[in-house]
Amino acid sequence: MRRVMVVGAGMTKFGRSSETLSQLMCLSSVAALRDAHLGDVPVDGVVVANMGAARINRQTAIASALVDRLNLFPATAETVENGPASGSSAFKVGYQAVAAGMADVVLVTGVEKMREVNNLEGTDFVASMSHPEAEYIYGVTLPSLAGMFARMVMERYGVTRRHLALVAIKNHANALRNPYAHIQQVITLEGILEAPEAIVNNPPIAEPLHLFDCCPVSDGAASLVLAAEDVAQKLGKAGVVVAGIGQATDTHAVHERPEPTRLTAVEIAAERAFTMAGASRDQVDVVELHDAFTILEIVQSEAAGFFPKGEGHLALERGETAFGGSLPINASGGLKARGHPVGATGMAQLVELTWQLRGDAGERQLQGARCGFACNFGGFGNNVVATLLRREDR
Amino acid sequence: MAGTGDLEALLRPPAMEMPPYPPKAITLASGERMVVRQASREEVPILLEAIAPLLWVERDFYDVVAARLFGELLAYKRYRVRDEYVLVGLIDGVLAGIVNGRAVDADTGMSYHTITIRRGLRVGSHLFAAKMEYHVEYLGEKEVLIVAESPIGFRRWMIEYPLSKKYEVQHELGGVPSWVLPRDTYFDAKPRLVSGTRPVPDELLRGAETIILPGDDTVRRQVTGERGGVECAE
Amino acid sequence: MSSDAVLASRCTACGAVSYPQHCLCPSCGGERFEPTPVEGEGTVVSYTDLYALAIDFEQRFLRLAMVELDSGVRATGQLLHETPAIGTRVKATVGVVRRQGETKIHGLQFVPV
Repeated sequence: MRRVMVVGAGMTKFGRSSETLSQLMCLSSVAALRDAHLGDVPVDGVVVANMGAARINRQTAIASALVDRLNLFPATAETVENGPASGSSAFKVGYQAVAAGMADVVLVTGVEKMREVNNLEGTDFVASMSHPEAEYIYGVTLPSLAGMFARMVMERYGVTRRHLALVAIKNHANALRNPYAHIQQVITLEGILEAPEAIVNNPPIAEPLHLFDCCPVSDGAASLVLAAEDVAQKLGKAGVVVAGIGQATDTHAVHERPEPTRLTAVEIAAERAFTMAGASRDQVDVVELHDAFTILEIVQSEAAGFFPKGEGHLALERGETAFGGSLPINASGGLKARGHPVGATGMAQLVELTWQLRGDAGERQLQGARCGFACNFGGFGNNVVATLLRREDR
Repeated sequence: MAGTGDLEALLRPPAMEMPPYPPKAITLASGERMVVRQASREEVPILLEAIAPLLWVERDFYDVVAARLFGELLAYKRYRVRDEYVLVGLIDGVLAGIVNGRAVDADTGMSYHTITIRRGLRVGSHLFAAKMEYHVEYLGEKEVLIVAESPIGFRRWMIEYPLSKKYEVQHELGGVPSWVLPRDTYFDAKPRLVSGTRPVPDELLRGAETIILPGDDTVRRQVTGERGGVECAE
Repeated sequence: MSSDAVLASRCTACGAVSYPQHCLCPSCGGERFEPTPVEGEGTVVSYTDLYALAIDFEQRFLRLAMVELDSGVRATGQLLHETPAIGTRVKATVGVVRRQGETKIHGLQFVPV
């Protein structure tokens, strides 16, 4: 297996876009290709991550469409769908092609244009990930699964609504430094939890989760260009290496999990990624976790092995995961504030890690970042992809 | 021969005694404090300027809402609507949202429009609730007739309060079969949906004396949500 | 799903009961199953009041729960209990859980014991 480097990165500003699905994926792809400065080096393959194009945008086979828009014929092309983990899965597919020697250069783009339908349609679309007979028919949505999960974790480990609010406040504050973020809005503990007005400001969504515990619905795209090590060296862009990728699955119906407060797929995916990379948790400087719901940032930080089980909220409280802390989590703003175009999120996490490792993260740069970890959480944790990127010194 | 003064009197609707809406302060999710107060006829021109950019935004019926609200505000200013009121939400004096309606009679209110300019902070929810508070608690009405142009936005109020059907009544907004918020339902919903403190501290009130316009671009971008804050449950 | 029962699957080879159905028995890999109703009493594992509802639902919120039945099977369904907590005892019944247009969909509703 060859070593694979990240040679180009780009993304669109997440939010409500007037661009079409096609325009979004083109903008992000062109940004990454330009960043890669490939010159005469051809793009051998294109992988697109997306969840909703067929249903929301009424388009299929969009990777083939992207090849066409970018005139990359006759490059190979696949569209990868893995729910909210589509981005990292597409990255994995692209990585495998280069590592196996089947391609020298692969463009990976994650894209989602959610706001072509209204929020009811959007909620239903996301709910389609739940088990059709055992969950969906009851009116179960992703927030309801997260709500039930949160209640169990809170009762067992003493996590409170205040801890959840601290996650949202931290990520909103972080996003102020991220020009690509969907939401750039300060929120305060007073405004979302303590003031009498908080009940209107922050109404329940799936108790105990409230509005500000849930990420927004966003449009956007994010892209990376992967290249084999020798190609990357010729380009003078051998700075960021794909060190490890791990993936794992869990039961579809959440109630079937033997221990429903454990994110087993996160545990196994992370362990696999660290093993492949030959890395340890204390080597990680920058972390992107999948905070579709604030509770998930806390529990993923434990399941990925950064904190003991049941202590993630204590680390948060101590400020360890803040921008200036010992292990900053979601310096980008996370899904909560950077936004969550479902198919693009996994790629946005990796674009962010790439920028951090290169020193290109502007105002949100974490000094001396050498190793980054991302957790991309599909379904309600029944398919998780973890990725480790590392800086290589030239 | 009747002078224009008498003709004006013919065309100007009678006016009932309407108690003023006492201003209140609301702490928003951002920690900022919004002042909700009544707007005067003199302030209408600046409100018109604020909503003008929306007259051409088709998405979510913004154009219809803006056009109708524009007319209602003008008519209020020029004494061509009976017993209309306008409330505004101001954050550091900057216009965050506008709601309006009118009193049909002592027992019945007619809700007109709600426009939110500053997104992501539930300003629309707060202002709509303030409107209902005015109708029920200050005008003393028994019920408020409500419809909306945008189906998704309306559905939320329908379910949240909840509203009841009163289809036999044609609402003034296009004759659409009306929904209604009865007084009892308002009081049941009040702990969940109505908030704010009175009186507004002097300094905060002074800062809300003059309406400051958000930039033209800001209004269009904010209201249509382009790069704005939109929550997952809206 | 019929209107009188929600069915779990008992493996004819090893007797393990799973719900929802998998193609192969999660315990022994067996391929044949007997239907067995999800029924009886159980304990609330967790629950939530869901406010952001799908289009078929017009109530203000929907109470959902994961319940572990005394038989050992777990299931997700609607919770018709006024004062639930983790650990509350409930009983499984079958009722109309959703309407899609004219169609009534039946499923599990957990009620107080």
